[in-house]
Amino acid sequence: MRRFIKNSLLFLCLLYVILLALDIYLSKYLKSSHEFSGEIEVWEDIYKSNLDLDVAIYGSSRAFVHFNSQILNDSLRLSTYNFGVDGHNFWLQYYRHKEYLKYNPAPKTIIIAVDMFSLAKREDLYNQHQFLPYMLWNHSLRETLSDYDGYHSAEYYIPFIRYFGKRKKLPLLSAIISNKKQVKPYRNLGYRGMDRKWNKDFENAKKKMKSYEVKQHKPSVNLFEKFIVECKEMNINLVLVYSPQYIEGQNFIKNKEEVVKVFENFSDKYNLEFLNYSNNKISFDKSLFYNSNHLNKTGADIFTSTFANDFKKIISYRFDY
Amino acid sequence: MLFNSIDFAIFLPVVFVLYWFVFKNKLKLQNLFILGASYFFYASWDWRFLSLIVFSTLIDYSVGVYLAKENKAYKRKLLLYVSLLSNVGILVFFKYYNFFLDNFIEVFSFFGRNISPKSLNLILPVGISFYTFQTLSYTIDVYRKKLEPTKDIIAFSAFVSFFPQLVAGPIERATNLLPQFYKNRTFNYQQATDGLRQILWGLFKKVVIADNCAEYVNQIFNNTSEYSGSTLALGAVLFSFQIYGDFSGYSDIAIGTSRLFGFNLMQNFAFPYFSRDIAEFWRRWHISLSTWFRDYVYIPLGGSRGSLIKTISNVFIIFIVSGFWHGANWTFIIWGVLNALYFLPQLILKTNRNNIEIVAKGKLFLSLREFFAISITFCLTTLAWVFFRAENFNHAIAYLSSMITNGASYLDINIYWQYKGVIGLIITLIIIEWFGRDNKHALEALVTKLNRPLRYTFYYLIILVIIWYSGKGEEFIYFQF
Repeated sequence: MRRFIKNSLLFLCLLYVILLALDIYLSKYLKSSHEFSGEIEVWEDIYKSNLDLDVAIYGSSRAFVHFNSQILNDSLRLSTYNFGVDGHNFWLQYYRHKEYLKYNPAPKTIIIAVDMFSLAKREDLYNQHQFLPYMLWNHSLRETLSDYDGYHSAEYYIPFIRYFGKRKKLPLLSAIISNKKQVKPYRNLGYRGMDRKWNKDFENAKKKMKSYEVKQHKPSVNLFEKFIVECKEMNINLVLVYSPQYIEGQNFIKNKEEVVKVFENFSDKYNLEFLNYSNNKISFDKSLFYNSNHLNKTGADIFTSTFANDFKKIISYRFDY
Repeated sequence: MLFNSIDFAIFLPVVFVLYWFVFKNKLKLQNLFILGASYFFYASWDWRFLSLIVFSTLIDYSVGVYLAKENKAYKRKLLLYVSLLSNVGILVFFKYYNFFLDNFIEVFSFFGRNISPKSLNLILPVGISFYTFQTLSYTIDVYRKKLEPTKDIIAFSAFVSFFPQLVAGPIERATNLLPQFYKNRTFNYQQATDGLRQILWGLFKKVVIADNCAEYVNQIFNNTSEYSGSTLALGAVLFSFQIYGDFSGYSDIAIGTSRLFGFNLMQNFAFPYFSRDIAEFWRRWHISLSTWFRDYVYIPLGGSRGSLIKTISNVFIIFIVSGFWHGANWTFIIWGVLNALYFLPQLILKTNRNNIEIVAKGKLFLSLREFFAISITFCLTTLAWVFFRAENFNHAIAYLSSMITNGASYLDINIYWQYKGVIGLIITLIIIEWFGRDNKHALEALVTKLNRPLRYTFYYLIILVIIWYSGKGEEFIYFQF
């Protein structure tokens, strides 16, 4: 038995070293990927401490396709970056916020784009491959993602095994390794303009159900409040923004008023600016959207300019720049 | 808990360490621990069905105890029927209830009478066909006085639910496995390391071969009309390797795992695709099921002792029952009939025992004649597998007719090139299995053929291939049976 244990340990130690080397190699190359909605580009900007910002934009995909950072940069003359996480609500947005502050100086202002699903719960770990290069021995990431139906705990601690079965799901991997494919960055300062026309997403959703009721996730609501308090303590200005949503999409949500009320209450309680564009004329113009929740590039540019003007006013009477 | 899951990779070492270090030299405790671990393993699928295993265990244990006390023939027979009815009853209810119901409805509607009995939304308990057959073998052997009934309920319960082979076999005989629970088990280095090698090879077959083939097989079988005849033929060949990799891979992991705990299970696959005829194929494919049917159905029916007609009818019964065992679908029955038809000429010509030894034993290469014989046998089995894989009879017929009529001679090079990766993996499998075919599993002889550094390099390579080339992580096909 002693011989078996000794040889097994020796075998496993050697295996561990091999897997670790492969893990480092593969993760390094994956970090240069522009796949997964450009999320890795944002993570890389965070971890390389590239960001010394005046304005940080948080939110979901509605943030990253609505707020054109370049327009804000140019019109406000403030360094701006868009941290919107595709497909994720505040639970994961908060993790990105914490990681950002860990590796970079705090911004002067955070604009948080809230929406119907900001404080709802998502079971599946959408776009989960974006975490692959950062998972090894990453305890805080494991804790954050433990609520999702995504990775097994062991995948955070045993090198390389998280790539098990992912060869085909990472189509760019072989190309990245062999450096054959030169891909342009997916995002610009975290923003991606979607040059798209109205698609059938909303019609398909309507076929499935008459309306949708959003369920608020209590721990997410608490986390959101904790975030507000932390920002106050750090003297970070906070602005809540409900960016345009196509009117029919708004009406599709059964309890829209109830969800918006939560943000209004936070705005009142903590004396925060809350800019609500749900009734802005943009929200009534279908040609500016590619589905009920997302503006297309034209829509995003129009909205960002409108927002920049409104934000300038807030700066002038509330914030000290 | 799948064998190819992280959960099992954690479960196995924990059970191993506790078994050999905490319960060492305490047979009763070791058996009790195996029982607990096995129930935990099964409950991780669906704890509700544990009650069925416990019920089956208690019935057969009690029948065994009463059989030991009873000498009157009719009472002994009655006890046997209790066991048969209970076990087969559970199996029929969960597995075949809706099948029989649907067919009754069709028969009645054929005669112009419409009936609408209630069909049930039944979930098939994992492994039910395996453990019911295993526990039945105990009762039948006790009834036949080939085996002393056990009084040790823990050992018996552990025998019925032994986790490595609980959900997909090999279907162990009580005469082989049960006595192993009575004896003190000592750790054997050679046995354990070879067990690990067998697990490694089983994982390769399942995760790399079967799961990668599955992706293409599903694509081709689900869109039969869209592919050319040559691609459909490739799909059928890929399914042959999928089912082999899946099931023999599972068996290898099960046997290898058992060996880590000092148990020896029967060999379930003996390189069946190197068979030179159908009879040989059936001596090498799913051996534990084939021999079960041989010993408990074929021989009691008279086997080959009667007239040729009687023997032929017995062979057909065996193959049909074997097909039906796999699932409640006519496709499985036709698969059985087809194999019986393949077997028939050999039975009539009495050539069914011509090829007992493995092909080209002790030689590096096979002869041209052997190559053709193997190729023909493989083609025949592949053809039958189409029925096994198809959704229904019409699908199988459509698949086969498209295979022949839809440009079978036209080789779609682009498609074949697209599948180059999986074809390369299959060739690797065939080469490694060819060199290991004289042994109980392909990697068994590795220890004598390669020195330690080379061996380790080989193991690491296999592990890396498993991680990198693993497919979608599909369930084992045989879990549904």
